This record gives sequence, structure tokens and C-alpha cells, in this order.
Amino acid sequence: MSESLRQSLDLSLFWEYRTVLLRGLVFNLYVFLCAASVAITIGLGAALLRINRAWPFRVLGTLHVEIFRNAPDYIMVVWVHFVLPLLLSPILGWRVEFHPFVSAVIALGFVYSGYYAETFRAGIQSIPRGHLEAGRACGMSERLILWRIVMPQVVRKMLPEGLNQLVSLFKATTIVSLIAVPDMMYQVSMVTAQEMRPIPLYTGAALVYFAVVFAVAQAVRLASERWRQSIYA
Amino acid sequence: MGNWERLVWNQRDALISGLAVTIEICAIAFVAALFGGLALCLLRMHVRALRPVTIGVIEFCRATPIFVQLMWVNYVWPELFGWPNSFFTAGWVALALQSSGYLAETFRAGIEAVPRGHREAGAAVGMSPALILGRIVLPQAGLMVSPSIVNQFTVIVKSSTLVSVITVQDLMFQSQKLVNVWYEPIEILTATAGIYIVLVFAVSALGKLLADLLRRRFGVAAN
Repeated sequence: MSESLRQSLDLSLFWEYRTVLLRGLVFNLYVFLCAASVAITIGLGAALLRINRAWPFRVLGTLHVEIFRNAPDYIMVVWVHFVLPLLLSPILGWRVEFHPFVSAVIALGFVYSGYYAETFRAGIQSIPRGHLEAGRACGMSERLILWRIVMPQVVRKMLPEGLNQLVSLFKATTIVSLIAVPDMMYQVSMVTAQEMRPIPLYTGAALVYFAVVFAVAQAVRLASERWRQSIYA
Repeated sequence: MGNWERLVWNQRDALISGLAVTIEICAIAFVAALFGGLALCLLRMHVRALRPVTIGVIEFCRATPIFVQLMWVNYVWPELFGWPNSFFTAGWVALALQSSGYLAETFRAGIEAVPRGHREAGAAVGMSPALILGRIVLPQAGLMVSPSIVNQFTVIVKSSTLVSVITVQDLMFQSQKLVNVWYEPIEILTATAGIYIVLVFAVSALGKLLADLLRRRFGVAAN
């Protein structure tokens, strides 16, 4: 192995910049947490629209799902960052500008809300009618039925898929570096521009993301499997 | 509407050429991912000595974000292996890498779902293992997992927007170039988003139609 090759493979450069890069990874986590709460909240709302009895709501819900499930993350991030402020400014009457972090959270949150809406809907519709009728027969209000009878069962049924989508969402947070959110990929590209040694930096980043995602995905699988078994036993 | 005509309709040549590149890179990546996924799956199931390595590769492909893989293939591979030597190649290789990991696991699920008796019946009439695989196992497994394959293709189309970052001149690249020329992002980016949404919708609808047709034609129950 030639000396230059060995030098370029040396991962110590990655280690040297660990504080900056780790701070980037924490930023990934911030984006992930905020976007996940947006996605789950709006996803639940859209799912409730889709199963509404009034058809205009159903159409609205379906439109939401079809738009956001079929939109690539990257174009949505760019659109929210560059177009949405221009559309909002005349409506609100002042000059709106989004911090890149806000754009990233809105875009990723809405894209994944499309997936969550479908997961929630499938979960809700898998509840047997009899359960709802039993609730009504006892005089429970629709809201109480939703929270006491439907949701607990839905959450259990959709947990594995919902957690998988969280893992996908975390992977998607890497693209926010493209609108200059200082996440780990952003820091890597900055350090690469200084050091001109892409191999250790990008390989290191790939390994770190792999370790995080793999560990979390494995834990998620084990936990949800065990939980399901303890419930359906 | 004047803006739409000026910024989108009059720029249609650039957008269409970008769309052509998008479709081309997705098609190449999809075919490569099918072969890569099948190879990884068969290696994992049948070559015991390499199993830890194969599982490692599959899990690496699945658990690493596509953007990170794209950067890694684009910046690191050329220096390590001297390949890929163009941005376009790096783009489809990265897209294929990610999807082949997912498809390997999909194929494995399909192959394991083929009843044992079918394989034994093949062996009983003297078919070679390769023939059993090609004539009995893979056709059934492929039909069974065809919805997942279609789904993976839509994932490739969505991820393909990222290859614009390494200057592959796809639809995303062309539209951002137009934005940088005109400084008027509203119409261009909205139109681009619309085109992508329609494209992904069409791919998934047509793919599902084709999968259902094939499954009905060859007797695996469509759901």
C-alpha cells in the first residue's frame, strides 16, 4: 500500500475534528426530533380527515397523502426554504424569512406526515366496527371512543411500521446540510474544503451514520417485537 | 400567468432534458439494484463462508443515508478504486447501492416464502439446483415481492433528486440553474415539485398495475 494511500485512509483526521462533527450529529438529532413531532401530529390529523364521513374532508386528506408521499424530500426542503416565505409574505404583510432549521423541520415533517397518515389510517380502519359500537352502546362520546378504544389499539398495531418510518426520517435529516443547517454532513463538507482530504472524512461520516442508524434500527426491532409479543401473548 | 409562461413554459427544453436525465439515471440504477440485490441475496443464502461479509454489506447499504452514500461514492471511491470516473456513474452507483441492500432482504423474504415442496418437486424430476432457482424459485418469489420492488423503484426516483448535488444535470439541477439565472424561484420550483410528484405517482401507479397484471396472469393472488 502506497504511503499516500495509507495517509488518505487514516481516520485520525476524523477523530481530530470530533467535537465539530459531534455537534453536527446533535443537530441531526434536533431536526429529527422536531420533524418527527410535526410528522406524527399532522399525520394523525390527515388520517382523521381521510376517514371522516364528510367527503370534502376525505378529499382533502387524500390530497395531503398523495402529495406528500410522492414528493421527494429534497425538492420539498428547497421549496419550503425558498418558495414558501415568498408566498407567505404578501399574505401576512411582512417579509417572512425562514431559518434553515425551520425550513428543514417543516419540509421533513410534512413529507413524513404523508407516510404517517397512511399508517394511522390503516391502523384505525383495522379496528373492528363492533368495538366502536360497543363504546357507543355504553354512551361514550366519539372523542372518548377515539382516545380510549381506537388509539390504544392503533398504536400497538402500527408501532413497528411507525418506528421504521422514524428511522427513515433520521436518515433523511442528512439532506438538510444542503440548505446550510449545520448538521454533520455540513461540517464534513466544511472540513473537507479546508483539509482537502475527503476519504477519511466521508468514510468516517458514513461509518458514524451507519453505526447510529443500525444500532437504533436493531433496538427498535427488538423492542417492538418484544412489546407485541407481551401484548398478544 | 405571465410568469408561468416566461419561467416555466419557455424553459421547457431545459426542464425536459433534465427530466430525461432523471429517467435515465433512475432506470440504470433500478436495473443495477435488481441485479445487485439478487446477487447479495443469493450470496447471503447460499455462500456460507461469506455470510458475515454479505450481511455486513447489506446492513451497511440499508442503514446509511442515501445522501451520505452519494457523497461517499462520489468523493471516496474514485481515490480508492479509481472508479466511478464520472458524476453520472457515481450517481447511479450510489442509488443502486442503497436499493440493492433493501432489495436483497426483499428477495430473501420472497425466496423463503416459496414452499419447500416446490423445490423438492424440481429436484425429484432431476432439475439442477441452478435450474430450480431460475425456473421455480425466482419467478414465484419475484411475483410475490413485486409490490415491494415497485415501491423501491419509487424510492430511487425520489432519491435521484440528490444527484443534482454532484452536478448530474437532472431535473432538479436544471430547475435550480433556472432559479439562479432568473432569481424567481416560485414558479420554477413549484413546477418542478409538481413534475416530481406526478412522476412518482405515475411510477407507483403503473408499477402496481403491472405487478397486479403479472400476478393475476401467473396465478399468484393479487391483493
